[in-house]
Amino acid sequence: MTRVVVIGAGLAGLVASIRLADAGARVALLNKGTGGLQLGQGTVDVLGYAPERVQRPLDALAGFAQAHPGHPYGMLDAALVARSLEYLKELLGPGLLTGDPAVNLHLPTAVGSVRPTALVSPSMTAGSCVDGASFVIVGLRRIKDFYPELVAQNLNRTDLPGGGRLTARHVMIDIPARENEVDSSGLTYARALDDPGFRRRFAQGVAAVVGEGETVGLPAVLGLDDHGAWAEIAELIGAPVFEIPLPPPSVPGMRQNRALTARAKAAGVRVVPGSRVTGFRSSAGAVDSVQLATAGGDRDFKADAFLLATGGFESGALSADSYHNLHEAVFDLPLRRPEGHLVHGDYWGDPQPLFTAGVETDDTMLVRHPGGEPVYSNLYAAGGILAGATRWQEKSGEGIAVASAVRAADSILEAATTATTQGAAS
Amino acid sequence: MKTLSADVVVVGGGSTGVGVVRDVAMRGYSAILVDRADLAQGTTGRYHGLLHSGGRYVVSDPHSATECAEENAIISRINADAVELTGGYFVATQVDDPAWGDDWAKGATDTKVPFEEVSVADVLKAEPRLNPKISRAFAVQDGSVDGWQMVWGAANSAKQYGAQILTYHRVTGITRDGDRVSQVICTDDKTGEEVRISTNFVLNCAAAWGGGIAAMAGCPDVQVVPGAGIMIAMNHRLTNSVVNRLTYPADGDILVPVHTVCIIGTTDQKADDPDRLMIDWGEVQQMMDCGELLVPGFRSARAIHAWAGARPLVKDSRVGAGDTRHMSRGMSIIDHSDRDGLKGLLTIAGGKLTTYRLMAEKVVNAMCAQLNDPRPCRTATEQVPGSESGRNYVITHRLEEREHDRYDDQILCECELMSKGMFTRALADQPKGSFDDLRRQLRLGMGPCQGGFCSMRATGVALQSEHIDIERATGLMRLFLKNRWIGIWPILYGDQVRQTALDNWIFQGTLDVEHLPGPTHEEVV
Repeated sequence: MTRVVVIGAGLAGLVASIRLADAGARVALLNKGTGGLQLGQGTVDVLGYAPERVQRPLDALAGFAQAHPGHPYGMLDAALVARSLEYLKELLGPGLLTGDPAVNLHLPTAVGSVRPTALVSPSMTAGSCVDGASFVIVGLRRIKDFYPELVAQNLNRTDLPGGGRLTARHVMIDIPARENEVDSSGLTYARALDDPGFRRRFAQGVAAVVGEGETVGLPAVLGLDDHGAWAEIAELIGAPVFEIPLPPPSVPGMRQNRALTARAKAAGVRVVPGSRVTGFRSSAGAVDSVQLATAGGDRDFKADAFLLATGGFESGALSADSYHNLHEAVFDLPLRRPEGHLVHGDYWGDPQPLFTAGVETDDTMLVRHPGGEPVYSNLYAAGGILAGATRWQEKSGEGIAVASAVRAADSILEAATTATTQGAAS
Repeated sequence: MKTLSADVVVVGGGSTGVGVVRDVAMRGYSAILVDRADLAQGTTGRYHGLLHSGGRYVVSDPHSATECAEENAIISRINADAVELTGGYFVATQVDDPAWGDDWAKGATDTKVPFEEVSVADVLKAEPRLNPKISRAFAVQDGSVDGWQMVWGAANSAKQYGAQILTYHRVTGITRDGDRVSQVICTDDKTGEEVRISTNFVLNCAAAWGGGIAAMAGCPDVQVVPGAGIMIAMNHRLTNSVVNRLTYPADGDILVPVHTVCIIGTTDQKADDPDRLMIDWGEVQQMMDCGELLVPGFRSARAIHAWAGARPLVKDSRVGAGDTRHMSRGMSIIDHSDRDGLKGLLTIAGGKLTTYRLMAEKVVNAMCAQLNDPRPCRTATEQVPGSESGRNYVITHRLEEREHDRYDDQILCECELMSKGMFTRALADQPKGSFDDLRRQLRLGMGPCQGGFCSMRATGVALQSEHIDIERATGLMRLFLKNRWIGIWPILYGDQVRQTALDNWIFQGTLDVEHLPGPTHEEVV
């Protein structure tokens, strides 16, 4: 039985861990913080902008990869991406993830732009911005990260990606999730809406402001552990409802995170939270183990393969010091560094080169020296740490994460099979 | 076209201009102040935050040192709410000659700058992050001052005495009637309307921009050299007192705790255009090295924002034109009746924020002398509105306020503890203001996240006010994000990279802010 250490519990780390454990590997998942899913918007992007708006992401991938040499999609073709997203849909189930990765949906954001994405929570699909749609955007006075007038009025003046316009109006209502609290987080509402009693009162309050034929847009706080909460609210209101993602912490991302973490544990993954890797040992060109610093002393995790899924600059996996030297936090890996200046002053201009820095791999996701040979024979990488993408601008982060995680897991399993076969032969 | 009249028109809404308009109004003249932008939007708002004890100048510029020492005590009283009495130290690091401290101490005694030599052990006890290799230290009465708060205090005082403050009024011409100034012509940039102000006297307080104003009145060749300096704010206080290097004034020799941050500065480069000051990566590196000398580990601390200001230095024949560091920090008054045969125009330049009140007193005295109308100055004794209690700023003020209103109000900016109520009130006072105008009064977006969480909230709340429509609200947000970036990218390293990655994830990733409907340019008036 092959042993794998996965470092990082964002989308890439969770998906790879589950896939490895389901295939019989013994997996330890080491995570320092809460994982990137809760920072994001809770949708699964494949490719939203190239840089013009993408309607059919899978069809666009080959051309996009060709136009962007060194982009992760150069190693992860459309067939792999499609297969990987189907896998993710199976893992999360139809209650948490739906959609067709061949076609982008265009959904409202919390500032009222129309954002392309591929797979979404079913609680978001009714927000599809199509010609003739009629929305009422409902804000909750005690949530400061959602202003319905901003969403509705920007949507109203937007020429929709598929042509035409929609109409949106806005209403602010006040239903406290906690008595005497004026500054409530989305998470507070999400937890409150897991309670059927509060859900009924909430739905009554919303129903009172909904007009005939309107679809209701609400901040993405409609239940945390109860994945059917949004559907019940829609039923109680008597109108279609959709959730609009807020800045972090992301409730839809938390739902995915909790579901995937539970699935990983059920598959036998040993999840070790709060664990920052502080060192590693290697010999003969392979990583032997990684260390965690704990109160009792260092703990050593030995494995046959290691998957680095620690994210990018946002998680601290990558950093730039005050001399602009770039570092990878766990293995001090050689990084692909963009040429020239790392940062420029035009906020609305080209992507900042700094954020395309990262780890380079071969097409089995084995980490290699930029343009050269593998750094270690058993160290793989997946997700946000990969060089070459500007995921936030492209809207490509989850597609890259899931496809690279699946590819890395499969490569690790293949290498294990080969080793076993060779072992048996000799 | 709008016509107005006043005894005196003050051009420039920095610390000097606002000090002058307050003084003029308190002496009983009718007065109008005009500025092409917001108050304290130029050099006053882009400075170090230091209320000088005078210690910096005891050797290099003894006259300035004495003025600073006297004004420090006055400003701490009349602008109490803008000043924090942090205290300060002059310390000799391992690369500084401790014997120079004797020259310094003699200078401080001669210039009447209060000081006390203190033991290294005591300094390190008070400021444990300071370089343990310091060999000598003097305690002084440095403080920190919020330049915006100070200016708004003085402006509000002037208004109480009947002065009008017209921001976003750009001077386009100054007309003369024979040998006298007769009119100041402005454009109201918010409405495009021309405003003509009839007046007897113009006080040109446009500092680094003052040469252009004088030229409009037909007085050429007033040379105010912009001496550009960069400053970098670190995300928290590395020291609670001002720390100065015990050396002859040089680059990067002062660390000032201001509000929740501390500021390292500064450099001095002759600039060609005060509106185009660059922050060079080499200068940033220089500041890091200087910081490291004062506080070891400085490079690993988190820089959150950088800016550059243009000192208005009057060209002085005693030093070379390229050497701005050693031009006089003292003030200069140019009387254009002597120089150009034009009565009713004085240009003032030079000086520093600590002596803003004294500069105003001197220029208004000069005006009274020219008008042969002596009236006494009263600005040193009366506190500005908001400072009547005499209570100086302490860093916990906002926390205290929020503890009182936390059940009634939301916090829009967690970094700076700015409430929704504070924002809506400031917006009601300044409905045409940009978020940067409001930021200067509220510190919106000035903390570690640099607008990552509050920009969208501010936009939503602004849109809820009746004055602001969706195009303007969206434009205000776009402009604010763009302007914050101007001060972030030059120092983007370390933990601020991580913050920026999160901010980008929020704005580009989650909110898709770059695909909002137009107008896509950020021209917001």
